[in-house]
Amino acid sequence: MKLSQLPLKNLTRRPGRTAALMLLTAFLALSVFGGSVVVDALRGGLASLEARLGADIIVMPAEAESKVSFKNLLLQGTAGAYYLDASALERVREVEGVGQAAPQTFLASLKADCCAVKVQIIGIDPATDFTVKPWIEQSYRRELQDMDVVVGCRVNADVGEDLRIYDLNTHVVARLAETGTGFDTAVYCNMATMNTLLKAAEDKGVTHRITSDGEEVVSAIYVKVAEGYDVGKVCNALNGHVRKATAVKAKSMLTGVADSLTGVSRTVALLIGAVWALAIVILLIAYAMMINERRREFAVLRLLGASRWRLGGLMLKEAALTSLGGGVLGVALAALLVFPFTTLIESSLGLPYLAPAPGRVLLLALATILATLLIGALASAWAAYRLSRSDPGNALREGA
Amino acid sequence: MKRLSIPAVIVLILALVVAIGSQTFLGACVHEDGSFGPCHWAARALLGEGCLAAALALLALFVEQARLGLYLASALNAVLGLLTPGTLIAICGMDTMRCRMVMKPAMTVLWVLMLAAAAAGCAMEYRRAKRG
Repeated sequence: MKLSQLPLKNLTRRPGRTAALMLLTAFLALSVFGGSVVVDALRGGLASLEARLGADIIVMPAEAESKVSFKNLLLQGTAGAYYLDASALERVREVEGVGQAAPQTFLASLKADCCAVKVQIIGIDPATDFTVKPWIEQSYRRELQDMDVVVGCRVNADVGEDLRIYDLNTHVVARLAETGTGFDTAVYCNMATMNTLLKAAEDKGVTHRITSDGEEVVSAIYVKVAEGYDVGKVCNALNGHVRKATAVKAKSMLTGVADSLTGVSRTVALLIGAVWALAIVILLIAYAMMINERRREFAVLRLLGASRWRLGGLMLKEAALTSLGGGVLGVALAALLVFPFTTLIESSLGLPYLAPAPGRVLLLALATILATLLIGALASAWAAYRLSRSDPGNALREGA
Repeated sequence: MKRLSIPAVIVLILALVVAIGSQTFLGACVHEDGSFGPCHWAARALLGEGCLAAALALLALFVEQARLGLYLASALNAVLGLLTPGTLIAICGMDTMRCRMVMKPAMTVLWVLMLAAAAAGCAMEYRRAKRG
């Protein structure tokens, strides 16, 4: 047998010890990889929400916060609806500094048969929309016809199928790319389709009328501020000019989300740090104990002619092999625990959550395995140094 | 004296979690009107497969001579369990439904771990059999 084969033989001959060391490093890798993927997904979700929101100011009915939080609607796709008279759109456009103003009308579907849950239906005006339209154009380049709908990636309907809403058949023409936000569970249509659906909803007893004769309603108006104007000042002007409505800066809405995200990231980082500190101490103790237990074995190898460097190398190779095995096992376990539960994590955290792309996941996995390898090598290096300083003769006499 | 088989103990624990969990804390969607969705039947199938996996693990604990075959059967049963919710028996369509958000991912984790434990058991028994 060659000396280079010795580390592998040592590991396979002591499966209990090898398994314990591998489990310890696997735990390290699991915490790092799992934590990194979750934090990365939260960051991706926030970036995606920023990109999707696309407006500087959102004007919504004053009652919106009390009925269903607009933030919940954005983040979790909570279905809900509130309305402003459509004349509010003209009032918004009158305000100096308003560059673009696009209305959206919301309607919550009823629960349908077996699996359906309430979904948020959002009516957009393709002629003026600058928020959802660019995103829809990534999947569907044609004009939305009457009774055509585009669905978020988490809505249970395929392209070409009919989606029944308030006993009316709508035709699914496209599915949108994932955003990790409440937009993924929404259904989009043009204003003509929305008006038809609003009428159908009213026939079913779901009222949306603001006044007895008013049928034209909007739920939110997205505003892009013209160049050279201050967003805060335009927002204040809108609050003063549009009655029964509240204008909110989109950034202030996102600040709350960003703060929650920072809190979660900090907690995850703290937990990872604590796990690493504990695991490094345990690894140091484990390798020190292992060296102590194997002093005679190493003394025999020294007497057979193996140099101190060679013995150190053997130790490092053993540590590298166990760390590599543990790292791969930990990454695999973390992947098994994190990826299938994406929706549950997103819904529990109540924050936008967009799973990282496969390339990024691979990169995180490789970085984790490399870090685990490094920690294993460092922990064993100390033990190997102590071993190189000991006298083989003494070790053999002590054991006799 | 009988050798205690660690993989059999792991399979037994996981199988009990599948059988009990699929009907309780990891169960399918509950409809307000008391009606069943397709995921209800997927959960019923999981109960059966979980009980079968538990029985195989119990046999593996007590019948040493048949362990290799019992582990193989457990591994195949784990593959069947993995395919049950969503592939062999439909579950609800929306990602936010309980069966998709909790039941299917939890069952995936449990069956993959069971498959790994059964495969480890197979490898151990095969090596033992080869050594004589």
